[in-house]
Amino acid sequence: MSVSEKFILPDSLIGKRIVKMDAPEKAEGKTRYIHDINLPGQLHGKILRSARVHARIVSIDTRAARALPGVHAVITAADVPDQRPIGVARDHLPLKSDRVRSQRDEIAAVAADSEEIAARALGLIKVEYEDLPVLADPEDSRKPGAPVLHEAHPDNVAMRFDYAHGDVAQGEAESDVVIEDSFRLHYVTHCCMGVSGIIAEFDASGGLLMYSNTQVPFLHKREFADYLNMDPSRVRIVQPPIGGGFGSKLDIYPFEVIAVFLARAAKRPVKLQFTREEEFLASPTRQPVLLTLRSGCKRDGTLTFRQVHTLHDNGAYTSWGATTPFVMMQTFSSLYRVPHCDYHTVAVYTNNPYAGSFRGYGNLQATFAIEQHMDMLAEAIGMEPLEFRLKNAQDAGEVTGQGMVFKSCGFKECLTTAATRSGYSAKRKQNIADRTAPGAIKRGIGMASMLHVGGGAKIYPSDGCGTILKLDDFAHVTLITGASEIGQGSETVLSQLVCEELGLPMSAVTVVNNDTAITPWDVGVHASRTTFIAGNSAIGAAKKAKAKILAAAAKKLGVAEAELDLRGGWVIRAADGEALQDLPRLLRSLHFSDKADLVMTTFYYEPPSVHQDKGYKGDVSAAYAWATQVVEVEVDTETGVVRMTRVTGAHDVGRVLNRLGIEGQIEGGVVMGQGYALTENLLVENGVMKNPNFRDYKLVTAPEIPEMDVSFIESMDGEGPQGAKGVGEAPAICIAAATANAIQNATGVRIFDLPFTPERVYRALKGKGEKLHWKPV
Amino acid sequence: MTEIEHYAAPVTLDEAVECLQQVGEVTILAGGTDLMPQQRSGRLKPQRTLMNIRGMTELRGVSQSGGEIHIGALTTITELLEDPLVREHLPALIEACDHFASDQIRNAATIGGNICNASPAGDTLVPLLALDAQVELVSKPDGALFRRSMPIAEFFVGPGKTRRAPVELLAGVSIPVPPKDHFGRFFKFGTRPALDISTISIGLCGVLEGGVLSKVRVAFGAVAATPVRAFRTEAALEGRALTAATIAAAAAAARDEVTPIDDVRATAWYRKELIHNMTKRILDHVAQA
Amino acid sequence: MSLKHDIDFTLNGVRTRATVRVDMSALELLRDTLGLTGTKYGCGEGECGACTILVDGVSMNSCLMFAVDCHGRRLVTIEGLAADQAGKRAEALSAAFVEHGAVQCGFCTPGMMVQASHLLDKHPHADSEAIKRGIEGNICRCTGYKKIVDAIASVTD
Repeated sequence: MSVSEKFILPDSLIGKRIVKMDAPEKAEGKTRYIHDINLPGQLHGKILRSARVHARIVSIDTRAARALPGVHAVITAADVPDQRPIGVARDHLPLKSDRVRSQRDEIAAVAADSEEIAARALGLIKVEYEDLPVLADPEDSRKPGAPVLHEAHPDNVAMRFDYAHGDVAQGEAESDVVIEDSFRLHYVTHCCMGVSGIIAEFDASGGLLMYSNTQVPFLHKREFADYLNMDPSRVRIVQPPIGGGFGSKLDIYPFEVIAVFLARAAKRPVKLQFTREEEFLASPTRQPVLLTLRSGCKRDGTLTFRQVHTLHDNGAYTSWGATTPFVMMQTFSSLYRVPHCDYHTVAVYTNNPYAGSFRGYGNLQATFAIEQHMDMLAEAIGMEPLEFRLKNAQDAGEVTGQGMVFKSCGFKECLTTAATRSGYSAKRKQNIADRTAPGAIKRGIGMASMLHVGGGAKIYPSDGCGTILKLDDFAHVTLITGASEIGQGSETVLSQLVCEELGLPMSAVTVVNNDTAITPWDVGVHASRTTFIAGNSAIGAAKKAKAKILAAAAKKLGVAEAELDLRGGWVIRAADGEALQDLPRLLRSLHFSDKADLVMTTFYYEPPSVHQDKGYKGDVSAAYAWATQVVEVEVDTETGVVRMTRVTGAHDVGRVLNRLGIEGQIEGGVVMGQGYALTENLLVENGVMKNPNFRDYKLVTAPEIPEMDVSFIESMDGEGPQGAKGVGEAPAICIAAATANAIQNATGVRIFDLPFTPERVYRALKGKGEKLHWKPV
Repeated sequence: MTEIEHYAAPVTLDEAVECLQQVGEVTILAGGTDLMPQQRSGRLKPQRTLMNIRGMTELRGVSQSGGEIHIGALTTITELLEDPLVREHLPALIEACDHFASDQIRNAATIGGNICNASPAGDTLVPLLALDAQVELVSKPDGALFRRSMPIAEFFVGPGKTRRAPVELLAGVSIPVPPKDHFGRFFKFGTRPALDISTISIGLCGVLEGGVLSKVRVAFGAVAATPVRAFRTEAALEGRALTAATIAAAAAAARDEVTPIDDVRATAWYRKELIHNMTKRILDHVAQA
Repeated sequence: MSLKHDIDFTLNGVRTRATVRVDMSALELLRDTLGLTGTKYGCGEGECGACTILVDGVSMNSCLMFAVDCHGRRLVTIEGLAADQAGKRAEALSAAFVEHGAVQCGFCTPGMMVQASHLLDKHPHADSEAIKRGIEGNICRCTGYKKIVDAIASVTD
């Protein structure tokens, strides 16, 4: 803060490329992730998992394991009679007692001096099983004679969702074209580079400290207290930097509770971390979906209705995957203007892996079906697919049949921007003409759009976030926020918003965001809510601080508050930017005076969204976001290999805050979508995972990525921080749908199931693809 | 993991084969890129002695003599990629090395390890077959070094199984220097340039003179229990003019002669289709070159 | 009890001795025995590159190396990369990763940095295609690789 600068010109941070605050430390390998943390006296925990997919546990003999030197504790269900069922539907015990229902089921656990000893101890535990018939196909779950997996659900139905707006019978009657198709969406998994882990420690007075990578620390705190029959105020969660989240850490998993049980039994801290194979086996997947969509439109291009039935494979236990219908029905009811919509999901238990929350949360699956139908309907009525979409895309101010109010809406601009920048219409026509040209490689271009919440989602009693802000005697800001950082750069964007408000450089902020003993409540990192909600919370606290500072400065300088502003670490005259008072000095004069005071403020922001009613209707988010992506491919018709050459995306983000950060989120999401569309496939046969490793589960590698062209549509949301909306999940959502359309453009062949591996595509080209026809029972 | 009771790190070939002769049950460690994951997963049970041969520099390097190129067993894949003799004379082998795993693995993995691992999908094995390579095995049965050679086509017995006796060490491979007008191609199917275990791979070598093929060698990977020579496909090409009809017949012969299996990577039907289509594609490229 | 063996090697420029289990990997040696946690466990099977280190000047997956095979060799990990690369290139690479937004969760970053450093050593003029091939053995789940490639490209000659 140079004294010689008399006139401080405004220099906004908004929209600039701001370097991520923890990047330098990460680039030097100094960041300590949970795997790198070791507590004095800690033991290593390991879990014995089921050798069977579905079986009665006849006996467990742990004597040899207990006797192994270096083993401090061995526990089974019998040792924790107070254990309670956990998870979204409270339907599984951390340690299984009488029955295992899936390959990953936890039978016993060991705490030992080293991982090696713990692993050997697991090998000494003898389990006797009595096999039960395996329920591997969700279509079999409700057939007569199907094994009942949970006594409380004799029909094997874990959850049901039924939604309607308008009258689909009327919609169908009004349609000139009606199409119906079934789609199969497959198992993929998060593959965070850092595997799951936890450290649990009880302090001298019985309080519990957990080092956890949870994305929902405050919800966890309360739930753990419930499971362990403890006072919630005695549970503390510290969040080390995370090696990736993507929604994988939104539920409570058996391994976490087991680690706490081990710590309790051994009376020592216990660290438990997965191997990569265990990460595959025991982490939740994306929700696989079998879906039949019936859509209609009029000859003039107006959409009339959508009728959807889905069968969700709930797996052996219920996690967030079963609730993806909350998001899916929003897409079916409101992506494009749909007067009549009918949506039904049945989620059934099977002995398969269970699904959790994963970036996009059902929206990828829904969009895959909808956007293929958009192309197919357009073709049926002879309308250009872009024109068809523009005709049905909503504008700002519209309210959907589900009650979502689109206050800011850049949908049409997304469509036209992506189409124009990619040369969509001309290329599409050329590719159709080139189908009959010589040469094995065919080019295709396809488009898809997405709608997702951009201002949180009111599913808990509160969707809010708290901030505590303090300035020290040197104008250094400590920003204490409930919002977790999971690699997406939230700490940087929150600092940016605060610095913008207080006219300070990014170097003036330290963020504290990872200790429930210190930070105020936040519901968690999900639903692309952090920038919007934590951002508004941080701005609220910063505004209060600014008001206090300017009031003190006004008094000191003898001018009106309204004439002043903060810039560059100075109190300035707003009209001409003249520097009047250096901020650190002002703060010290506030502190060391007769009426000593510090600048410390708080703010809790609750977005103005509402809970949905019993019919799932309501304005569930404070803002909504759109994106259109145009995917270009080259299909090698002699092998079926699909190369994704280019992705042109236009994203309605409200306002770009950190340009560097938001680009990174988009690019990462696009490549995650590419994996979902082309390469990733978790193979499960009879409940057994066939490829729980990177050798055979194919993540996208650097040479495979497409060229990426990203545009931002700034629709300036009135409620969003500086006009911004959430974007974390958006870029992954419509890639698979656009790719399906691109493959169809290239080859004339449409494929309704994923992923588009070379063999699947080749079979489809040869007319050997299986066309699904699924009718709900 | 089973207990390893003895660790040896010989510096000379003599020491190494002496150890093999005396001890018998030895796991050989070269680059370790196959050994470590196999032991960790339990696919390979370690023997009581672990012998690290990486220090035997006499087994490293590429040289030319007597009309042959000799490659030491401990030559790494990266060293092969950078070697001027290999680059000049053995482009099919270079192509296979370029599509091998990743840079990090190429820097450690050895050609000897790749050969002895005898994967049906082994990347370097297919071009070696098509190049008429001979493997050199060394042992010390009667107190003196004994060497024997074998065509690589005879070396593989099954997945992970070779004709190397437990007392023998693979010292290297020898490849006849290809004549003028020789072409060598390698194709590995995949969606990635590397870091893929091949679904199918094809090695095709021969002499094209005046539009007529001779000395044709065709090898396939990942379509049988071992990498194999495709004798019927070779017969459909040997001595023939490289025309569209020849190419079509050869591709058909290739599809008919392979017996792949279904596995997590692909079905047998698809592998056959790929063999057909890619054999045709390679031959088309040779014809147009 | 597993057989133990003494090894003597150079680690980040410092002569180091250790007693290791014969079946131990170099990654376990670094993280568990020597407490250098900058090198990461990503998969343990050589498929992700998070464990990349330099061995005698070339990059390798430390999860695939036997600890005993470190004997007599010169190892450099992320902790010693700056010092090893005579300060210049590693610093520039580190700054480039930060400036270009190539770091999100950061878990793949140490492995990427070491691999990028080795790549630039061998190919100081690498173009973006060569860079992508050069890091094909390093998986990132967050960034989509684009900014990583841009960062490395900005440090080429």
